[in-house]
Amino acid sequence: MKAKEIMNRKIEYIKFDATVYDAIEKMVDKRIRSLVVKPRDEQDVYGIITVRDIVFRVIGKGLDPQKIKVDETASKPLVCVDKDMDIEHIISMMEKFNIARIFICEKKKILGVVALLDVMAGSLIERAKGG
Amino acid sequence: MFKKSFLGGKNEERVIEKIKKHIKILYTACETFKSALEKQDIEKMLTVSDLEREGDIVRREVLSNIYEGAFLPFIRPNICKFVEIMDNVLDELKNAAQVYDMGLKLDKDIRTDCIEIAHLNLNMCEMLSITFEALCEGQDLREKMLVIRIYEKKVDEMKLDLVKKLMGREIKTFWEGKVLSDFISYLSNISDIIEDASDYLQILNISIR
Repeated sequence: MKAKEIMNRKIEYIKFDATVYDAIEKMVDKRIRSLVVKPRDEQDVYGIITVRDIVFRVIGKGLDPQKIKVDETASKPLVCVDKDMDIEHIISMMEKFNIARIFICEKKKILGVVALLDVMAGSLIERAKGG
Repeated sequence: MFKKSFLGGKNEERVIEKIKKHIKILYTACETFKSALEKQDIEKMLTVSDLEREGDIVRREVLSNIYEGAFLPFIRPNICKFVEIMDNVLDELKNAAQVYDMGLKLDKDIRTDCIEIAHLNLNMCEMLSITFEALCEGQDLREKMLVIRIYEKKVDEMKLDLVKKLMGREIKTFWEGKVLSDFISYLSNISDIIEDASDYLQILNISIR
């Protein structure tokens, strides 16, 4: 099974200069665990901020989420793979880098994201189809 | 033992073959609908109604074959119900195709989501067919049914997103809004009905053990 078959096209973005508090609000409102941080300029790249980053890098250190910008907390660059990458390869990359989501990119454009839950659903589908 | 009791003799085999044909028609209808939506091909979209009529004929044949003596009487109502639910899927697909034919205008954003839902519906039909085959072979259906639930959940999430997107749009006339709303409802209801059909397969599976 390929990445394009299990990827989720729904991606939520946040501006690079938004505060971590803005990110928290957006995550709570939309019930999601990560946001893609838009690049500062054409030379910059997309980043990602997750609930984990916020808890360990901001809240856990006693920092004020209203004073920290997402750009300072986000991880960059995104881990991107081709849409035709096999699910097995994606699983090994997630394990190797200890990450919960991998982005599917084409040139500089993000096409979708594959999260752990998508991988689990994809492997169940493959199994049920007898693959 | 299981296989013998379900498949039984020639009458039963004839019904099974017809149900498989019905599922195949449903799959073809879903495939045609998705392809017509992608290509914005009205002619092709109209063939969905032909497939629905074809499905109706097969459904009637299945029902009459059953009451001519196929299967044990206590199984018959559940088989009939399964076939009728599948027919409801075809009806819903036909309704969506007919609404599309009324000059429905979908912008790129909405069309992409609708195509994705049509694709998931197609995958669900494929899984329904696999589940039915598994039932005939006396296999466990649990994993297959879980996959159908996964697909249904995805369609549900997409429907919610679509409705949120549509709520922010200006609708010029009542009928424009109604046609668009009906189209989204028909398209997204298909997954619910396929899930109901798969539940009946599980009921059949349990009842003939």
